[in-house]
Amino acid sequence: MPNVWIAGAGMTRVGRRSEPLGDLMADAAHAALAAAGRERPDFIIVATMNPEEFVGDGNFASNIATYMGFAETPALRVETATSSGAAALYAGVAQVAASLHRTVLVVGGEKMTHLPTPRVSEIIGRSIDPYERAYGATMPALAGLVTRALMARRGVGVREIAQVAVKNHANAARNPYAHFQKPVTLDEVMESRMVADPLRLLHCCPISDGAAAVVLTAERSAVRVAGIGQGADALAVRHRADVTHFRATRDAARAAFAMAGFGPARVDFAEIHDAFAPFELISLEDLGLVPPGKAGRATLDGETALDGRLPVNPSGGLKGRGHPLAATGLAQVVECVWQLTGRGGERQVSGKVALAHSIGGLATNNWVTIVEAER
Amino acid sequence: MIETIDASRCPRCDAVVAPPATWCPWHPVPMTPTSVRGVGQVITFTTLHAAPEGFRSPLHIAIVELEGGARFVCHGTETRGLRIGSIVAIEAVDNIYYFSHMGALERARLFWRRAGHAGDRVNAIARSLAKRVMKGRGGAAS
Repeated sequence: MPNVWIAGAGMTRVGRRSEPLGDLMADAAHAALAAAGRERPDFIIVATMNPEEFVGDGNFASNIATYMGFAETPALRVETATSSGAAALYAGVAQVAASLHRTVLVVGGEKMTHLPTPRVSEIIGRSIDPYERAYGATMPALAGLVTRALMARRGVGVREIAQVAVKNHANAARNPYAHFQKPVTLDEVMESRMVADPLRLLHCCPISDGAAAVVLTAERSAVRVAGIGQGADALAVRHRADVTHFRATRDAARAAFAMAGFGPARVDFAEIHDAFAPFELISLEDLGLVPPGKAGRATLDGETALDGRLPVNPSGGLKGRGHPLAATGLAQVVECVWQLTGRGGERQVSGKVALAHSIGGLATNNWVTIVEAER
Repeated sequence: MIETIDASRCPRCDAVVAPPATWCPWHPVPMTPTSVRGVGQVITFTTLHAAPEGFRSPLHIAIVELEGGARFVCHGTETRGLRIGSIVAIEAVDNIYYFSHMGALERARLFWRRAGHAGDRVNAIARSLAKRVMKGRGGAAS
């Protein structure tokens, strides 16, 4: 692939935000453009999972482009459920790599906290297979099914799962952009309210508002997109032969590493889609970052902590930073860029190669992006 | 008497899915109708304590691998004593499928807890009991 660079990155603080979605996305976009030293892009790619339902607006690429001051800049919208931000990045990388445009703004955002939680869950749940949804399946329910199988068949323990939440909350407490600013203890996680047995409240990410953006360019910059890939799986969870790993992650990782020309051993730190804490353990192994069966042990031993061998979710992850749906895949990349360029603040980790992993729906369209600091 | 569940088979890869699908999820070929027996092995299960609109908490959901290959999502009466690998029978009441490894009383309790009018719930209990009586006469496993 021809070189594609990330010239600038920006995001809003994630959490319960009172500003309209347009303002959040404009703030992120303008911050990314300012960091890139550019006033306007040649093209805009917008990621939102469901602005029609969440805020009542459609034709959203034009809506947001006009709102942020780019009424005459061509824009399109990309959607792959909860991984829309990563999908939009892919579309932008492809445009620059194909020389269709030299400077592409990719911006993702979601605004949900103004709606009651059951309504938000219902809208997010529409990404689930209709038959499974008719049986009351929600994202936490499907994650509960996955988690029970993971514990029974792979021997993953409750402490290992809880430690993911503890670690990611601790990282979030060092991140001023994160939804949660407080650490939690192992006991608090393991005694929190049961949501979808064996999954508890503090295993689950919050409902968050926020936006994130990057500016992609064909001109040499500090961070390069080394590889990006997608993997897919059946919409229905019941159609999968094994629910204890995600085929879509494995295929996405294979594609991204093939493009990068190196393997998981070169990855120094990662942002992983931990919408539910056990997903971080599953994904560590699916991505090849930890040997099969070792993710729980590695987490308990602190290998994935900020000061560990392989820091995972220095931002706090979806669990701690928050999960503003279509912003999330881009917020992960923003964190990677900031870390690679020494802007990690109190949560700074060291490294040259970072990996971002985003899950769409219940792992039906997953993405892996590998970014590398220019030497 | 074990419930028969509508399913479909891919003529290319022999995959069986339930309920039936028009196209094979893995091949662009039309599926052919078939049916599978409503008995199988629990792959995984959960109890949802924050059930979505139209359902009551706690809501028991399981994925069951039916004899004949299809994996099936269904509701349950109770998960006490249930394990991954447990063999369960599946029965349809009002076109909704339930796994069961429990007796009639627990099932009556489940249907009583269902959302809807009281009359509907009583009818559901009556139908479930009637089915169980018929199954008992047939000497079927459940």
